[in-house]
Amino acid sequence: MRATWSLRGRLVALFVAFGIAALLIVGLGLLAGAARPTGGFVLAGVIAGFGLLGCVAALWLWIDTRLARPVDALAGMLRVLARGDGPAVDVPHLGDLGPAAQAMAGVLAQTRGALTEAGRRETARLRSENARLEALLADVPVGVLLCSDAHLLAFYNGPAVDLIGAGAGDPGLDRPLFDFLREGPILHAHTRLKATGDPDAASDLLATTRDGARVLAARMRLRPDAGGYVLTLRDVTTDLDAHARREALLTEVFDQMRRPAAALVSLVAALPTGADPLEAALRDEVARLAQSVTALSQRHETGRAEAVPMPATRASDLLDGARARIEADGLTVTTQAADLLLTCNGFEMIALIAGLADDIGRAGIARDLSLRITEDGSGALLRLAWTGAPVGMALLERWLDAALEPGLAGVSRRTVLATHATDIWPETAPDGAQSLCLPIPHARRAVTRPAPLLRPVVYDFDLLSRTRSAGVHDSPLSALTYVVFDTETTGLLPDQGDEIVQIAAVRIVNGRRLEGEVFDTLVNPGRPIPGVATRVHGITDAMVTDAPGMDAVAVRFHAFAQGAVLIAHNAPFDMAFLRRTSARTGLIFDHPVLDTVLLSAVIFGQQEVHTLDALIHRLGLTIPEEARHTAIGDSIVTADAFLKLLAMLQDRGLDSFGTVLTEVRRHGRLLKDLN
Amino acid sequence: MMADPAHRPLVLVIEDEDNIAIALDYLMTREGYAHERLASGAGALDRIGALRPDLVLLDVMLPEVSGYEICQAVRMDPALGAVKILMMTARGSAMERRKGLALGADGFISKPFDLKELRDEMRRLLGQVG
Repeated sequence: MRATWSLRGRLVALFVAFGIAALLIVGLGLLAGAARPTGGFVLAGVIAGFGLLGCVAALWLWIDTRLARPVDALAGMLRVLARGDGPAVDVPHLGDLGPAAQAMAGVLAQTRGALTEAGRRETARLRSENARLEALLADVPVGVLLCSDAHLLAFYNGPAVDLIGAGAGDPGLDRPLFDFLREGPILHAHTRLKATGDPDAASDLLATTRDGARVLAARMRLRPDAGGYVLTLRDVTTDLDAHARREALLTEVFDQMRRPAAALVSLVAALPTGADPLEAALRDEVARLAQSVTALSQRHETGRAEAVPMPATRASDLLDGARARIEADGLTVTTQAADLLLTCNGFEMIALIAGLADDIGRAGIARDLSLRITEDGSGALLRLAWTGAPVGMALLERWLDAALEPGLAGVSRRTVLATHATDIWPETAPDGAQSLCLPIPHARRAVTRPAPLLRPVVYDFDLLSRTRSAGVHDSPLSALTYVVFDTETTGLLPDQGDEIVQIAAVRIVNGRRLEGEVFDTLVNPGRPIPGVATRVHGITDAMVTDAPGMDAVAVRFHAFAQGAVLIAHNAPFDMAFLRRTSARTGLIFDHPVLDTVLLSAVIFGQQEVHTLDALIHRLGLTIPEEARHTAIGDSIVTADAFLKLLAMLQDRGLDSFGTVLTEVRRHGRLLKDLN
Repeated sequence: MMADPAHRPLVLVIEDEDNIAIALDYLMTREGYAHERLASGAGALDRIGALRPDLVLLDVMLPEVSGYEICQAVRMDPALGAVKILMMTARGSAMERRKGLALGADGFISKPFDLKELRDEMRRLLGQVG
């Protein structure tokens, strides 16, 4: 019954009753006053006044007990319900408000229960994933560290303990990373990454343990949401041995062949020439043999530095690592490095330099050393210097025969020089200062990531012509060979004299990027490189002085790309530079062409940004800072992006070159500033 | 500077490959140079000190003592300052050339060499061309 009257109905009835009672009391007062001859009005007023006062008191009592108190009680009950399960809502005088609040409390309890259950399930799932991730990280052969922005350890896996532990004891949570690794390279990399403002940027560096006993190849990646960074560490000593043995065998083969070939040529040249056709044939064959041996040998010499892809190593990181090792041997050393990125195996170089410095100390030649790296043509020159006696070549030769590291019997210091296609020798300066000179053939200036280059284009439909693509029109995408290339240039205007300064390419066969098939060369542009361009790619005039000209490079590149589909990001820009060489070389770049800008537009729509940075971000790819804006770095990441786009195209049923071309033409008029 | 026409230049060939030495012997004889050959780097420095040749034709890869060692030792001896050194290598890389020149070689030639090219280089070092 309590809910039969609504709150509103009750209030209406109350005020109607109050009105009727007021009228009755006033009427009663007037009736009583009329019966008295005198003072009737006074009596009527008194009766009406007190009567009305009683009615108001009754009204207040009713509202207090039936409305105000139940509302307060309801509010309290709702508060209890809001915090969890409470008593049933029992407010008899508030009409439907009580049952309504009870219903709401029921729904709230149900929702809370569902949420709690979902939270429990999700927590269990996260715990399970966390356990799996921990197990996975424990098993991966690289060390993984998670650090806060204050460089305190927040996570580490088993291999990381093996790599950075030992001297400073095992790592522990919330301990400073710099208790285990030298801070220099890590702080440099952290600052560099922060400065890029790119959440996906990664940086390769060389980290050295505190005691200098171990050099680790490391990659740092910031954690944009959670703060701090992830550092992966890899011991780079393990895979050197087998490579060194193979390389030593090849070198011996060529050394053995070169000498008799050279002797043959010299002897035949010394023979008096006659008319005997047999003798002429012999001369021809000797000349061909010698040329083949020489050419193969030179290719081997040139190629062995490229046989193992070398990372870009900061000169300052290299010297920091070397310094740690040298000081651990009880010597003192000062360092000075130009801001260069060296193409070298940092671990090997550090071990080589530190080993030689140690030998200098042990031989009693000097204990105070200096290490300098300066720009040197297209490379860099590392100079280990001291004041004192010179090092004789005989002594140096013996030092170079020593093993690079105690555990690497197959890798001598000489092997390191060979894999880097370099050599080392002593020099005496006019002021008597002594040094060991070690050129590093390939280097470039380190640049902070510049603002994106704006390359305005209107897509060139000629690149999609049927003639050009006729040979591959019906070919399945998976059956084609692709050459993905990129160029660095003096500027953005090929028609106004800008030229290529670096070109690189990688090959994709059977849906796989071939690690070993790489085209990468500097190009002498035959004109000065503007400073603004150098700030982008780090390539200076000095670096390209001895590089081949574009025509010679175009001939080699044409051969490298023979029979392949050319891929580039913003292909018209790069193709414009290549096409200009045709008039001089007679070689036409009429390969079928695909552009990852347009493939990106096909997959993600024209409204998206299609710069290379945006594309690789979207595809979840990474390019280390040191590799961005190098032709080879951009070629590799473009190739990886292309492979991902290829799979997406095939998922859409675009599985032949012709169908992709048709789709691409629809997106052809993409007017955008492209990087 | 032109050399004294009456002077017969003395060339010391340090080369371990017998067949290349035969070809060099032919060239020296044809050019009218006095010459002597050492087949190893051992003892080369003493022989250079004793002979004081006008030119040392020096192979880089020698048994026992490398051509680089000999080159550096000659250049560190002020008494041998007038001796010209022409280095020869079968490998012929730019880095070898740079190393040889940094250690004090006056010239560098790659094997297999053209005899005419070698002759011209020797004449240049002996001051027989303008």
